[in-house]
Amino acid sequence: MKDKLMIKVAGLHKYYDDLEVLKGIDLDVHEGEVISIIGASGSGKSTLLRCINFLETKNKGDIYVNGKKIRRSAGDINKLREKVGMVFQRFNLFPHKTVLQNVMVGPVVIKKAKKIEARNKALKLLESVGLEDKADVYPAMLSGGQQQRVAIARALAMNPNVLLFDEPTSALDPELVGEVLQVIDKLAKQGMTMLIVTHEMGFAREVSDRVVFLHEGKIEESGTPDDIFERPQSERLQAFIASIW
Amino acid sequence: MDLFNGFFIPLKEFFMVVIKYAPKFDQAVLLTLELSVFSIALGTIIGLIVTILKLTKFKGLQKIAYAYISIVRGTPLLLQLYFIFFGLPLIGLEFNAFISATIGLAFHSGAYISEIFRGAIISIDYGQEEAARALGMSKIEAFIHIILPQAFKRSIPSLGNQFIIAVKDSSLASVITITEITLTARQFSAATYNPFPILFIAGVYYYVIITILSKSLKALERRLQVDER
Repeated sequence: MKDKLMIKVAGLHKYYDDLEVLKGIDLDVHEGEVISIIGASGSGKSTLLRCINFLETKNKGDIYVNGKKIRRSAGDINKLREKVGMVFQRFNLFPHKTVLQNVMVGPVVIKKAKKIEARNKALKLLESVGLEDKADVYPAMLSGGQQQRVAIARALAMNPNVLLFDEPTSALDPELVGEVLQVIDKLAKQGMTMLIVTHEMGFAREVSDRVVFLHEGKIEESGTPDDIFERPQSERLQAFIASIW
Repeated sequence: MDLFNGFFIPLKEFFMVVIKYAPKFDQAVLLTLELSVFSIALGTIIGLIVTILKLTKFKGLQKIAYAYISIVRGTPLLLQLYFIFFGLPLIGLEFNAFISATIGLAFHSGAYISEIFRGAIISIDYGQEEAARALGMSKIEAFIHIILPQAFKRSIPSLGNQFIIAVKDSSLASVITITEITLTARQFSAATYNPFPILFIAGVYYYVIITILSKSLKALERRLQVDER
């Protein structure tokens, strides 16, 4: 099943002035695959994710989506982003729009979807994240966990092929983490292709097909969750695992 | 007897003049309102255009916008009005007094309004633009649907201030022959030799106009505040 190559990252370098944050990343993401990216802070996890979505520019190397190389033109990048959804650490919901409008705005503005169709779809998505009763309230009235579930629904509304999660639970109170992870887990079971930057090791182990350990801008080690958490090879990964358990 | 002559008689006279002359300000009040409304509306449009020029990546357009702002802020409004009404006709640009005043006031407040808009736009969390772009919106779509509505709301308090200043600045149009409230007050003062009640009337009219304006802006602010925490 997991043979169709969805995203290919080839030789990705990223510099901030003289600082090289990513030092040549190669990564293949197949359809339906769930990949967790772990590593210490400053290892380049979030940067990698943001490069895939071209939120970080001026990098070296290539990104392919469905076998097609993404050129650095505005048109190509906007098209790429329609297919690759993103969920942020700080949710970034639009505070001047209701929950329903937040989920509708992508299809309505970008795909020129009919309002009524976008609305029905948005309501369905809100139901799938358990928030259909919050459709008409503003984001400020929601808890962090609820906001993040809306953000996931907003990303799903564009029918993406891949979802990128940038530390989706790091800004949440501990008791709210579970409800967001549940939604992500449900998506994984539905076969959604996902790349998840996370500090939730237990969750990464549960949900992932593959775990990638990043260290100082390089992929130090990657493998199945069991490989990574039970049989870490490199000293750095062993140290990292030891430091978090 | 002294008290009567010294206080009540002048007081009665004062009110007689006020009652007699207050209605005669009707055309003047109308002109002040027209000047204010047109210059605020035009000034807001100019302000928005200049803000967009400043935020484009074209250096030439940015320079034009900054030159405009620095000239408007660097010279007195009174001089700007003189220049438009008395100076421009000498190079063949002649407008009637009302148009001159409207253009002058609009150009003036436009510069300040553009700075208000710019401040509000850059105060919007960068994550908002990122989230919009990550959905696939173009820069322009993100600006129109996500950034601008939030920035507009955030700019209302300062915008209200600027509108109030614009109403008061309209009094300067009196120097280029527009018989709005201030010039009318001057004319009635000269005619009656009794400036005290006349200037009192003018003050009350301004006060009422500005109070209504600031109350409606407060109401608008409250209405748009539904989504704030």
